Amino acid sequence: MLEVQQLTIQAGNTVLVDNLSLDLAEGRLTCLIGPSGCGKSSVIKWLSGVLAPDLDVQGRACINGAIEPLPHRDIAYQPQQDTLFPWLTITENVSLGLEVRGLGRTAAREKLRGLFAHFGLAGHEGSFPDQLSGGMRQRAAFLRTIVQDARVLLLDEPFSALDAVTRLRMQDWLMARLREQPRAVLMVTHDLYEATQMADRVIVMAGHPGRIIANIPITIPYAERCEATLADIRSTLKSMLIKDTS
Amino acid sequence: MMYFRTIFPACVLMAAFFGTWEGYVAVSGTSPLVLPAPSDVLNGLWVERAAIGRHARATLSVAALGFSLSVMFAFIVSVVLHFSGWLRRGMMPLLVASQTVPIVALAPLMVLWFGFGLLPKVLLVILVTFFPMVVSLMAGYASLPRPYRDQLVSMGATRWAVFRRATLPSARAHFFAGLKISATYAIVATIFAEYAGARHGLGIYILSAKNNFRADLVLSAVLVSAILTLMCLSAIRGIEQATGRRYRRVNDA
Repeated sequence: MLEVQQLTIQAGNTVLVDNLSLDLAEGRLTCLIGPSGCGKSSVIKWLSGVLAPDLDVQGRACINGAIEPLPHRDIAYQPQQDTLFPWLTITENVSLGLEVRGLGRTAAREKLRGLFAHFGLAGHEGSFPDQLSGGMRQRAAFLRTIVQDARVLLLDEPFSALDAVTRLRMQDWLMARLREQPRAVLMVTHDLYEATQMADRVIVMAGHPGRIIANIPITIPYAERCEATLADIRSTLKSMLIKDTS
Repeated sequence: MMYFRTIFPACVLMAAFFGTWEGYVAVSGTSPLVLPAPSDVLNGLWVERAAIGRHARATLSVAALGFSLSVMFAFIVSVVLHFSGWLRRGMMPLLVASQTVPIVALAPLMVLWFGFGLLPKVLLVILVTFFPMVVSLMAGYASLPRPYRDQLVSMGATRWAVFRRATLPSARAHFFAGLKISATYAIVATIFAEYAGARHGLGIYILSAKNNFRADLVLSAVLVSAILTLMCLSAIRGIEQATGRRYRRVNDA
């Protein structure tokens, strides 16, 4: 679906990401984990077309085998913050992506009809973001990302601002949505437990310069994932991360 | 109740100030030619209300025209500067330099160049009020949080779409702050321009009253100019509140 080929990102003489290649498949959630500053967010920002323009970048993004320019309409990006515009209602916020991509306002609203209830936002269509809880805001941000019909979703620590209980609920909720509408998902997270709980594959990055040191598939079915079944994988990943940062 | 609590301290302080002034003039026996009492100023205002009203209308119309044009030009220039880094780097020092020109030196020259008509006065109002507007707008454009911009860019938004959908709305508070500062200067700048040369307006009225040693009428005109400025500020605040319920959330975000 999406391939990143030989991506190198440099700030002057400092190499932030060194010769990184990865691929994402439809219906698969890939987690990118690693220590702070290892270049995880740089990779996702490059794929979203929002990397700082003063950085030197080499590398290619291929979608279904063809080299494509970035940003691309088949790639949707959700940053760490929900970035709902405070002056827009939830409906206006959610339809923003559709309108920016050329859909008329009426057609965009038509497309959203019925989706609010499905995303637990029924009755809040006319609310402003500051009137919603953290979980609801995050669901609205997910709806805005998913409704763009991009086949690749890039999620940059989407649950990092949520409390522990809301985070667990949102993880289950997101997995259910992705089962309904399969996408190729690349999710950056700091949380080892979150990564192993949700991902089909965990890519481990090391820093200075940022590079991939492990690519670990998780074959345990989602319903069977728990402390006991994931213990070995978590232990392996933990030792890798500790070794890299010590 | 809330409104009363807001204006109560200002009313108390003003009453104390004018009471002290009135008492001082009564006790010290200062000549009204030098320092008229507030009651003399109010009396002069009442007696001369028709003339002062006529001149105030002239001042207000010039200030309104100059200020409106200034806001329009400032908005256009700020948008151009926002989209062109080269022009921004070139123009900002010139705009700053334009503010170092003393209006006291420029006002008579404007009258010399453009006569006693509307043009020199409008130009002076624009010169004085334009800069705070541009600076406020530019600061407002720069205040857009990076994640908002990134979100739109990742959706494929053009620079203009980012500006229209995020940069402009997020600059609203700065725009109104600049508008209020500029409105404060607008009446003063008009009076200054009229002072340098005009047929009508509070500036020429003040000059005439001063030449006739009527300090009470000078202060009456000053009082009217202060009221005009407060009226302008109230109107802007009213527009801001009436049009921007949803935008007040920007600062809370």
